Amino acid sequence: MSRFSLPRTLLVATKEFADLLRDRKSVFWALFAVAISGPLVIGILYFVTKSVTERIEKTVAPIVNPQFAPDFVRFLERRGIKIDADPTDYEARVKRGDLDAVIVIDMNFAENLAQGRPAKITLITESSRDRSAPIASRLAREIRGYSEQIGNERMILRGVSPSVARPVQIDELDLSTAEQRGARLLQIMSFYALFAGLMGAIAAALDVTAGERERQTLEPLLTTPVSTLELAIGKWLAVSGVNLLAVTMSLVGFWITLSFVPLGKLGIPFNFGWREFSGFMAVLIPFAFMVPAVLLVFGSTGKTAKEAQSSLSMGVSLVGLLPLMSFLRQSKAPWWDAWVPVNGQYAVLSKVLRAESIPALDWAAMLAVPVVVCAAAIVVFSKRLGDEKLLAGR
Amino acid sequence: MIAVEGLSKQFSVRERRSVFSLRANTRMVNAVDQVSFTAHDGEVTGLLGPNGAGKTTTLRMLSTLLTPDAGKALIDGADLIRERGTIRRTLGVLGDAKGLYWRLSARENIEYFGKLQGLPSKLVAQRTNTLISELGLSELADRPTQGYSQGERMKVAIARALIHDPQTVLLDEPTNGLDIMSTRSMRELIRGLKAQGKCVLFSSHIMQEVAALCDRIVIIASGRVVFSGTPQEVLETTGLTSLEDAFVKLIGTDEGLFA
Repeated sequence: MSRFSLPRTLLVATKEFADLLRDRKSVFWALFAVAISGPLVIGILYFVTKSVTERIEKTVAPIVNPQFAPDFVRFLERRGIKIDADPTDYEARVKRGDLDAVIVIDMNFAENLAQGRPAKITLITESSRDRSAPIASRLAREIRGYSEQIGNERMILRGVSPSVARPVQIDELDLSTAEQRGARLLQIMSFYALFAGLMGAIAAALDVTAGERERQTLEPLLTTPVSTLELAIGKWLAVSGVNLLAVTMSLVGFWITLSFVPLGKLGIPFNFGWREFSGFMAVLIPFAFMVPAVLLVFGSTGKTAKEAQSSLSMGVSLVGLLPLMSFLRQSKAPWWDAWVPVNGQYAVLSKVLRAESIPALDWAAMLAVPVVVCAAAIVVFSKRLGDEKLLAGR
Repeated sequence: MIAVEGLSKQFSVRERRSVFSLRANTRMVNAVDQVSFTAHDGEVTGLLGPNGAGKTTTLRMLSTLLTPDAGKALIDGADLIRERGTIRRTLGVLGDAKGLYWRLSARENIEYFGKLQGLPSKLVAQRTNTLISELGLSELADRPTQGYSQGERMKVAIARALIHDPQTVLLDEPTNGLDIMSTRSMRELIRGLKAQGKCVLFSSHIMQEVAALCDRIVIIASGRVVFSGTPQEVLETTGLTSLEDAFVKLIGTDEGLFA
């Protein structure tokens, strides 16, 4: 066997890359899907957030029997809430979702209030409907505020400090900064960036493995001086090249979208500038090389093109399922979190978006894990390419 | 020159009694059993045998795709097992799998293999041009091979195998599926190689074809060599006047042709 030759490896890589790009339709659809999906998600999120904010601002309070509590109605009006007096058939409409929540004033409200007895207001809601939750909680907050205001006035009248009735003061210190809240909304971006690094490789990996079986071009190749290791590395470089294109397209797509969508107006000070862009690239470039290596191993399994294809879909699901670890975890991430392929990338990308500082060890994982995975996968892949059983068993 | 001595190859075959049975029996099958022959430079040697006789396996071993279980072979003095690199450079192979890259043109397909052989790009371009015009591919050389006819594809595959001007040429059923015109031009090409002093070993299951081209015939049946000699010697040994009858007699059964 002739020794490893770099020029020959690059020759294989160039040929495979050119060949892959000739497949205009597959390349176009893969890159199109990748470039469009992220911006689409951000666009949808933007409009959803915008409409929620607007609905909370323009809250309308349907009140049954407003005449029994004119003070309360004025209180609400001062708080900028429009009143919809005496809605008909309100329980069914709340159930159906036509109304988010309804306030019902008790018939004896004024009398009870005047005599210092608890006066009753009923808030009718449908808590299983997420869409109505922000409105319902705003109304509940306003009712509590009204009650507190009257309570304070009464205590002051009696010469008691209102703080007597508040032995414990709850002071919520929410550690999520405004920046972090915005990033939480857009963590989906990390997911779609990884998605690009997977999508970009599938069609290409399929073509250079199962496609080579289908075309019956592997056997002629192996009668030339090219070694299976040179072939494996060449193919891997070519597929990674296509994958890098996909990742870059997806990030550029995000960048363009985020410069058009005014997230700042919604109180989401989300930033996707040079810092985030380069952070993403630092994680995604090694990732874009790692995924093809794994997919090529799966694609080279099996004697027929069809077997190779189904084995490759197995590899795709494996890569796709790993970030679920982060999604579903209830406890704090263990120290080795960043060292689990795919899951680690997801975690670090999220940190980049949250503007957190990333320890050097995490960066080490972002580089070391792909290097080890690639090396192992390429060795297996090259062994598979030269496997006699796959040739003879056809 | 190819000198083959006692070349053998076994395959394991898995057999299952029914679709649902979990256990499969593994059985060893002798695909090629103690095959010996010699193919000389400036001669065309035909490897003749019914389907499944072991022709392709023999050629695959000679083209370094499969490692023989036993026996040895020398190609121009280079050992098949220990000097694979040398052998691959001196060998031109049109194997059982003759696939092309669909999205690449004939020229790109041929040039890729020339560069893989380590030839300088200038020489590759020059040789590619020569082969394209010799094989009559000039008009479609820059179109993707996807739309080619079977004969045109075969020509590209042959050009790809000859790009580095190999001294020894292995051809596995080179006329399979070709029409009469393409078959004739393939025969001419083989005669041309012979005239250049190359060693040509080609396999076929068609007696007439072998008779028309070969200086020497090696007949294989069930993995074994049953006869080796000139076409004249085939007739003399069997005492028959028709090569086809002689072939049937030598392989021992007339079923073999249809198996």
